[in-house]
Amino acid sequence: MKETMELSQWMGLIVPLVLLQLLLMIIALVLCVKAEETRGPKWMWALIIILGQLLGPIAFFLFGRRNQ
Amino acid sequence: MNSASEAQYREQPAKRLRNAAIRRTGSSAFMTLLGKECLELLRSFKLVWVPIVFVVLGIMQPLLSYFMPVLIEKAGNMPEGTVIEMPPPVGSQVLADTLSQFGLMGLLILALAFMGIVSGERNSGASALVLVKPVSHTSYLLSKWVSMMILTWGSLLLGYAAAWYYTWLLIDFVDVGPFMLSYVLFGLWFTFVLTATLLFSTFLRSAAGAAFSSLGVAVLLSMLAGLMPKYMGWSPGALSGLAYQAVTSEVLLPLNSVSWWSIATAVIGIAVLLMGSVVLLKRAPAHD
Repeated sequence: MKETMELSQWMGLIVPLVLLQLLLMIIALVLCVKAEETRGPKWMWALIIILGQLLGPIAFFLFGRRNQ
Repeated sequence: MNSASEAQYREQPAKRLRNAAIRRTGSSAFMTLLGKECLELLRSFKLVWVPIVFVVLGIMQPLLSYFMPVLIEKAGNMPEGTVIEMPPPVGSQVLADTLSQFGLMGLLILALAFMGIVSGERNSGASALVLVKPVSHTSYLLSKWVSMMILTWGSLLLGYAAAWYYTWLLIDFVDVGPFMLSYVLFGLWFTFVLTATLLFSTFLRSAAGAAFSSLGVAVLLSMLAGLMPKYMGWSPGALSGLAYQAVTSEVLLPLNSVSWWSIATAVIGIAVLLMGSVVLLKRAPAHD
């Protein structure tokens, strides 16, 4: 294990992970806002998506939407 | 000629014509249906979010293994001066951990994403609308199955490749041979479980029932294979363990006859499950 790791290298590894999670969150939020109706109140889903890290958006994609 | 055989004689050309029509349009109907299924995946955003989730899961595991000593030192409430000797992580072991993560979280997500693939359309009557057209039940189900497999194998490859790349950067290099072999074995296991989801989705009314029945089958099979490797080593449940072995072995894992059997039973099982779902769909194309 390399003991000394530059901050920039460190960031280069973490940033893609954060960006992907952020992307997932944004897609879920946009779908949540645009959806005609969700299963349960919209503000609740918005909170779940924002606070639920990775699991929040997944839960919304799986259970939050009513198909037609 | 009595009336019964006459009626049969009269009926048969029409039936033959219809079958010929299905056969002639079979491949093009299949492609149309497949296009429709892929569009459906895109419209429901599954084609976007499932691969992203797999990549995130794949990146997380190597990062966690790499930063584990730091995390324990910073976050754990160890008394001052405690020295924890941790063996440095091994690349192939990290990839095996990633696979087991995919086997839990990934399989759960995929089974839940596909749980309503047939039952949803049957409950709404959409499947009956499609099936009155000259479209065979086989191509209807096969198009769904192929679209599921595109998403599954694609997401698994993306996520696993991301894990492999991060492992290479942070820990050490794992050969491409063991990596690809374990990918194929694990993909086969996913295919088996998700084909079971498709079967349960065709005959159970509830979508959640389909997801959890197939996950139950998956847990049962892999538990049996894990507890009694001697007697159940030939079952498809042994495939995930085989994939861990494949990636942790130094050279390309030589598959013995039991391993080949588990691959063979998985392939046969997938075919049987598909045929079973076609038969069940033919019996009742729509719920009342």
